[in-house]
Amino acid sequence: MRSALRFVLVLLYIHSAQAHELRHELSQSQAIVIRLTYADNTPFSFETYEIYPEGSNLPTQVGRTDSAGRIAFLPDKPGRWRVKAQSEDGHGLEFAFATGASSGPMATGQSLYDRYGRILAGVALILGLFGLFNLYLKGKHP
Amino acid sequence: MHIPDGFLSPQTYLPAYALAAGLWWVAARRLRSQLDAERLPWLAAVTALAFVLMMLALPLPGGSSVHAAGIALLAVNFGIWTSFMAVSLVLAMQALLFGVGGVTALAVNALALGLAGSAAAGLAWRIFQPIHAGLALILAGWASVVVPAAIIAVVLGIQPVIAHDPTGRPLFFPFGLSVTLPALLIPHALLGLGEGLLTWLGTLTLERLRLRHVA
Repeated sequence: MRSALRFVLVLLYIHSAQAHELRHELSQSQAIVIRLTYADNTPFSFETYEIYPEGSNLPTQVGRTDSAGRIAFLPDKPGRWRVKAQSEDGHGLEFAFATGASSGPMATGQSLYDRYGRILAGVALILGLFGLFNLYLKGKHP
Repeated sequence: MHIPDGFLSPQTYLPAYALAAGLWWVAARRLRSQLDAERLPWLAAVTALAFVLMMLALPLPGGSSVHAAGIALLAVNFGIWTSFMAVSLVLAMQALLFGVGGVTALAVNALALGLAGSAAAGLAWRIFQPIHAGLALILAGWASVVVPAAIIAVVLGIQPVIAHDPTGRPLFFPFGLSVTLPALLIPHALLGLGEGLLTWLGTLTLERLRLRHVA
């Protein structure tokens, strides 16, 4: 009788110990891959990021980007998401994207032409603003 | 070095905007009274150069990046307040047109880079110019990078202390001063040497061009 009781107790112990066991399973799903890079295309590698559902301060996913600056994200529902990524030296960004029930987010990559075209536009705008200021000064002291 | 949106708490950027608004007003009045049609094209050209320099990032080993700024070039050649306004204009355009540096962080960026950077450069120039003009320009360039980096490191590093939830989790920038100070100061102390050389060569070039223009 005592032996039977011990056997039952051991079984119960083993059962409770299983609650602390970690398991793993492998599956393949469609993830949204976000790639973060500096302007010169250098990857934003091994930096911290957080992904929040819109309107919530509780992140759905936190972690670090991989060596290629990528984040793999599997949204558990359609909607808008906010990504916040930051490095220790103050680089980083915050942006939002939407996921639909069946489609992923639109790619937002920027071509070199976009970037340098906008730098030229910025230079032109600065020179234009100073030109206007020059006209103002000439009007003040003709 | 520009702080993006989402890194600073409102307790930081709202007082910074109040302070910057007053200083922008003072600087605009000085600019209007001091600047003439003769100097304006030069200021426009150097401001445009500063904009381009700030947009071109150089990758660093370890994955980060730095960029030159041209702040000392502006401060030494046009004065601290004029440089503050010019750098503020560049930062505003970068934030609004390119998303480089945040709109909420614009005042902090302008105070750190535009005002403190220009003041540090102007001071270094005034102190060391009687000893050696070239050395003074290099030190002005170095100071214009390192002083803003120190200020930005402090502003970022105090965010976990001044803005966190009841459990102590930072709501904005998550790293403290022990991380931000070395992370920003070490690369910018090296970059400062390059900025110093740029300031020296840039000022020499400006002087030659001005002489040619006058002749």
